Parts: sequence; structure tokens; C-alpha cells
Amino acid sequence: MQINKKWVTGILIALLMLLINVGHVNAASDTSLKDVKDKGTLVLGTSPDYPPYEFQTTVNGNDKIVGFDISIARKIAKDIGVKLVIKKMDFDSLLVGLETHKIDMVISGMNPSDDRKKSIDFSDVYYNGKQMMLVNKADKDKYKKLNDFSGLSIGAQTGSLQYSMSKEQINNVDIKGLAKVTDLILALKSGKVTGVAMEEPTAKAYAQNDSSLAVVDPGFVSAADARGAAVGFAKKSDTLVAAANKSIKEIKDKDLINKTYLPEASNYLTKNTADNTMIHYWKYFAKGIGYTLLITAISVVVGVILGTLLALMRLGKNKIIKVIAVSYIEFVRGTPLMIQVMFVYFGIGMIVNVPALLAGIIAVSLNSGAYIAEVIRSGIGSIDDGQMEAARSLGLSQKETYKSVIIPQALKNIWPALGNEFITLIKESSIVSIIGVTDLIYQMKMVQSATYKGIAPIFVAMVLYFVLTFSLSKLLNYFEGKMKHV
Amino acid sequence: MSKIIEVNKLMKVFGKNEVLKDISESVDKGQVICVIGPSGSGKSTFLRCLNLLEVPTSGNVLFEGKDLTSLNEKDLNQLREKMGMVFQGFNLFPNMNVIENIKLAPIKVKNMSDTEADKIASNLLEKVGLADKAVQYPESLSGGQKQRVAIARALAMDPEVLLFDEPTSALDPEMVGEVLKVMKTLASDGMTMVVVTHEMGFAREVADQIWFMDQGYIQEKGRPEDVFDHPTSERAQDFLSKIL
Ligand SMILES: Nc1ncnc2c1ncn2[C@@H]1O[C@H](COP(=O)(O)OP(=O)(O)O)[C@@H](O)[C@H]1O
Ligand SMILES: [Mg+2]
Repeated sequence: MQINKKWVTGILIALLMLLINVGHVNAASDTSLKDVKDKGTLVLGTSPDYPPYEFQTTVNGNDKIVGFDISIARKIAKDIGVKLVIKKMDFDSLLVGLETHKIDMVISGMNPSDDRKKSIDFSDVYYNGKQMMLVNKADKDKYKKLNDFSGLSIGAQTGSLQYSMSKEQINNVDIKGLAKVTDLILALKSGKVTGVAMEEPTAKAYAQNDSSLAVVDPGFVSAADARGAAVGFAKKSDTLVAAANKSIKEIKDKDLINKTYLPEASNYLTKNTADNTMIHYWKYFAKGIGYTLLITAISVVVGVILGTLLALMRLGKNKIIKVIAVSYIEFVRGTPLMIQVMFVYFGIGMIVNVPALLAGIIAVSLNSGAYIAEVIRSGIGSIDDGQMEAARSLGLSQKETYKSVIIPQALKNIWPALGNEFITLIKESSIVSIIGVTDLIYQMKMVQSATYKGIAPIFVAMVLYFVLTFSLSKLLNYFEGKMKHV
Repeated sequence: MSKIIEVNKLMKVFGKNEVLKDISESVDKGQVICVIGPSGSGKSTFLRCLNLLEVPTSGNVLFEGKDLTSLNEKDLNQLREKMGMVFQGFNLFPNMNVIENIKLAPIKVKNMSDTEADKIASNLLEKVGLADKAVQYPESLSGGQKQRVAIARALAMDPEVLLFDEPTSALDPEMVGEVLKVMKTLASDGMTMVVVTHEMGFAREVADQIWFMDQGYIQEKGRPEDVFDHPTSERAQDFLSKIL
């Protein structure tokens, strides 16, 4: 095994070098504006769970991402003379998205902090929201200043400006970092944290739509460089940054955000919350189930084929092929699915452009292949050697013996274990939501941010997952009964 | 009579265990050989070397004049179908019913049509007295019935030789007779057979030659009445005194 591991490490290092090199070539000279113009599209990356900056709504039955950040993006694209394409991603994934050229720009209420400036470029600040604290209304009068939160727990988005500001400016505070604002609100309402640090417009939007919440201004001091929100670009995109700055200047001169964009966003918000029962959002959940099932179904099929292949490779006589199979299986089982999903989307994505859904399916399939391989291998191992001998003595080739005799029996033996793997896959595939695949988990988060309701969507998603896995396990039992002799 | 199987200086070693040390023998067409000997003496290994389920460490196995040890996988598969094998543990395929068990190899190896294979399989089931069990699954058969199906399955490939490895050792005593009866019929029909067995009565009645195997060698061979009644080697005397 020692040798195998060295071997795998070698390949990985080689692969990484390749990726880094590709990255360098792309960044070598600034053709950013020309590139965008050439392809005719400007790809925006955003995390639409941050109303009123960006959030999801339904217009004429279709999902749509709206918010004043989106209005700004449209203006920039229009001024350049190209079409705007919106890619949904986790906030945490946005910087990687830029670095790997999955997206051309980020507008997601992002503050141009010094840390971020190390890896990406920023436009001028387009909006200067103050940092506020969202609290439960009952506590409104208890917490007025920053140090009223000393010794308490507060929440902030992981990697956000509010997170680092709270850490620096409040004495002895315990900050709970979560990726999603909706989860933070949930933590606040359930008393896990006493306040959530967020930008003024967002805080106000939440308070407006949820009467149990209130906004307080505890007096955060913004560092001059990091005040407000700006548009992010990959490094060395000076021409593109300049184009964006031109649009931003016009937006500021005409005060478009306050006069047009924010009122429009608020409009969508009230429409969202006018009927925020879960039934009203059934389409979101239905779409989520559709994608979850699609990813699972394809991954199961590919996984079984790949798994069978790997198991046979591992059981075969050829040493090299065996080592390849073993290394693959061990490596995949030894790394988290989350990393694999990100590696396929961002890593492989640097060489060939893979859409998020495809990347998700590939990663989950490759992953399940390794697990299924081990299940199948144990299934084949459980078949008595006499079966192989009897078949071979009749003149059947090894291949034919596997096909007609060994695999059908092995399949029957491992059916329960395979069933478990399928059910696990339904649940585990939820990890693809981090690259913006609109599976059930992703859609649940969308409903959370659209309705300002934290618990109800979780409950609905939980019931839906259970219904899915329960019906699948019933279905598998039915086939197991039918397979008595197969 | 023509030699159908010929073994030259056959050796088989597992790790440090020299199981077959130096065996040179031959089997004539139509001959019935019964191999006897104490447990662990290498009888099964010898039988499995004959159809190369076990690859000899050195020496050659010739079938109809062709050296099996020099053949590639594909040619080997073709020669294997001419040497049927019946195992102590039956080794029927539990995922197929009785007639499918018998039809599998004719269809997959000989590319026979389903109807043709069906006809052959039905005839063979008739022959082993199990015509009524065609669509049953192996798990519902008794040991004796399973072994008769296994014989029918081997016969379906129309082999030149049948190898039996203790075909009745796993059976309840009352079922031994029905299997031996089928084997006797085969022998009287002129089938070439190599039978590893502990059924001395059967061996005495049916065998043309008895081979006594011990410690990796064929220690003694001859007609049944000679080997059974006047064994020359001490080991054979010892073995027979215990078993008879
Ligand atoms: N595949 C194998 N690997 C290692 N040793 C084996 C193998 N098959 C048989 N042997 C050994 O070879 C010897 C002879 O076995 P076998 O041919 O089954 O004897 P018999 O059939 O006469 O009882 C035994 O000591 C057994 O342990
Ligand atoms: Mg044996």
C-alpha cells in the first residue's frame, strides 16, 4: 500500500501543477474586457440568499434572481453591450469561481476587504451600507452598543466583513459563523445567538418581513478601505474593472440604487412574503426533488457500471490494473465527497468547462462507483469457488462465467447493501448544492430566504427526503422478493 | 485402443507442499478408471490437473494428443468442453432452474439454439430420471437429484471424458445408489470415465483399472480384483484393510 500511496500523490501533484500553470497562462495579459465582448456574455456569480441585494423570486411561475445587485449587473452588462448570465453559487465558492474563470464577476454584497484584495480585484464601491445588528424584538432595548454583546454569542456569515469586524470590535464575543443568512436568522430566533451582524439593507428587509425581529445600530466602525460593497473580478482584469467603474459612476451620479433599484427589490420582497405558505412554494420543492432524483438516478447507473468494472479489475490477475483500481477506490473513499464535488467543478473546470449539474453528477457518480465496487467485490467473494470451477469445466470463458453465473448471484447477495448505497446517495447528493446545483437542499435554502421562514422549509425538505428514501427502500424490497432465484 | 488422456511427469506444488510428485499415466478411450487413496493424497488435485482447472507446476497433460499446458485460454475452453466434470458438492447454479442449468453451456459455448438445447436437456433429464424436475430450482432438490442434474449438465456438452470427484461423498446413504446407477449406465454405454471414489463396491464392479494414490504418486494400479484382493504395496494393503 505504501507504494500505491506514493504513486497517487505523484499523480495528484502533477495534476495540480497543470492546473496552476493553466491559471497562470490565463492571467498573463489583460484581455478581460475583450474576452467578455468576444463571447458576448458577462457571467455573474452570486449567492442569492441575501435580500435585498440578491434573492430568488417567482415571476409568472418562473424562478428568477432579483435584487439591486442584479440590477447593477444588468446595467454593467448592458453598458458593455453583452448578455448577462447569472450563476448561483455558495458565497464561499465565489472567489474560487473567479480564480478558475467559471464566472467573470461577483456581485453579491461583497465588501472589498484587504484579505480579498489579495486574490481578486475590485471595482469602486457601489453601495455603502452600514453594518447593523439584527436582534429579537424583545431584546431591542437591552443591546444598544457593541460591548453590550460582550461575553455573548452572535452570528455572522462565514468569511464576511461583519464577521471580522465583530471579532475585532466587540470584546470577548463568541461568533458563530454560518454560510447562509437564513441559517443565521434561525439561530437568532431559536436563541442560539443574541444578534446577527449584517448590512443595513438586509437587516432592514428581515425586520420588515418578520415582526419578531428588530434592527439596532451598535456603532460598528468601518475601516476606510472596506466600507461598502464592490464588484469583484479576477486579478489582472483592469479593462473590465474600468468598464464596471464607468457604469458605477453613472449609477452613483443618478442615485439609481436608492431611486430605482432598491424600490424594485422591495417590491419583489413584499410579493415574496405576501403568500409565504410552503404550498405556495411547491414548485421550488418539486424542482429540487427532480434534480435530486436525476443526480441520484444517473449516479446509481454509472456507479454500478463503474463499480462492477473496478471490482473486476481488482479481482483480476493483472497487477497494474489491480493497482489502478485499488488506488482509485482507496483515494475516493479517503476524501470527502464535498472536496470531490469542488475538485470536479473548479479543478477540472479549469481545463474543460463543466456545467455545475454535470460536475455534480460526475463527482457523485465517481464517488459512488468506488463504494459500489467494494460492495460488488464482497458480493463476488461470497460466491463459492465451485461455481467458477463448474462453469469453467463446461467450457464457459471467464467473462461468460462472470456474466451468467457469478454476477447474477453476487447481485442477489449484495442487493440489500446496494439498496443502502442508493438510499445514502439520495441523501449525500445534497452536497452538490454548494456549487449551485438546484437540488432539494438548495431549493430549501432558496425558500428559506424567499419566505423569511427558517423552520418550515427544513421540515418540508425533511419530510420529502424521507418520502423519497422510504419509497425507494420499499421499491428495492419489492425487487428483492422478485429476485429470489435471479 | 487409443489413448485419450496422457499424463507425463506431472508435478503440482502448492507453496512448499509437493502434492503431485511425478505422475505418468494414460487413459484409453472407453476405459473406466477409479482413483482411490487416503484423504489429502492429491486425488482431487490430480483430477483438476487433467482439465487444467489447476495448472501443473511441471509436466504435460495431453488430451487427444494435444498438450493442454501449451494452449491459450480460448483453445483451452474448447478442450474443456470435451471433458465434463462432476463435483462432490454438485455446484449447480442456484440462480437457474434445472433445465437452464443444463442448457447454459450448450447455448453459450456451442451457440446452440434454445429449442435445440431444450431438446437435448429434456432427453438427458429423462435419462437421469428427472424429467419432472425441469423447471424446479436446485434448492428444492435432494442431494441425489442434484448430483444427477449435475451429471446431465456435464453430458449436455457431449464430452469425450467425464471426470468425477467423489460424486457420492456428500450424499445421504440412501441416495448413493441412484447416482451410482446413472454412472453404471454411462460406463456400460462406453463413456470414458475417471472417478475418484470411496465406493469400493462400485469400483470393483465397474472399473477397468484401479489407481491407488498416496503421497503424490500412483503407488499401485491394476485390475480391480488384483488391487483389491492382492495389493502388493504395503501402503495399499494398509489403506484397504482400513476401508474394506
Ligand atoms: N488450492 C490449494 N492451495 C493450497 N493447497 C492445496 C490446494 N488444493 C489442495 N491443496 C493441498 O493439496 C493436498 C491434496 O489435496 P487434495 O488434492 O484435495 O487431496 P484429496 O482429494 O486426495 O483428498 C492437501 O494437502 C491440500 O491441503
Ligand atoms: Mg478430494
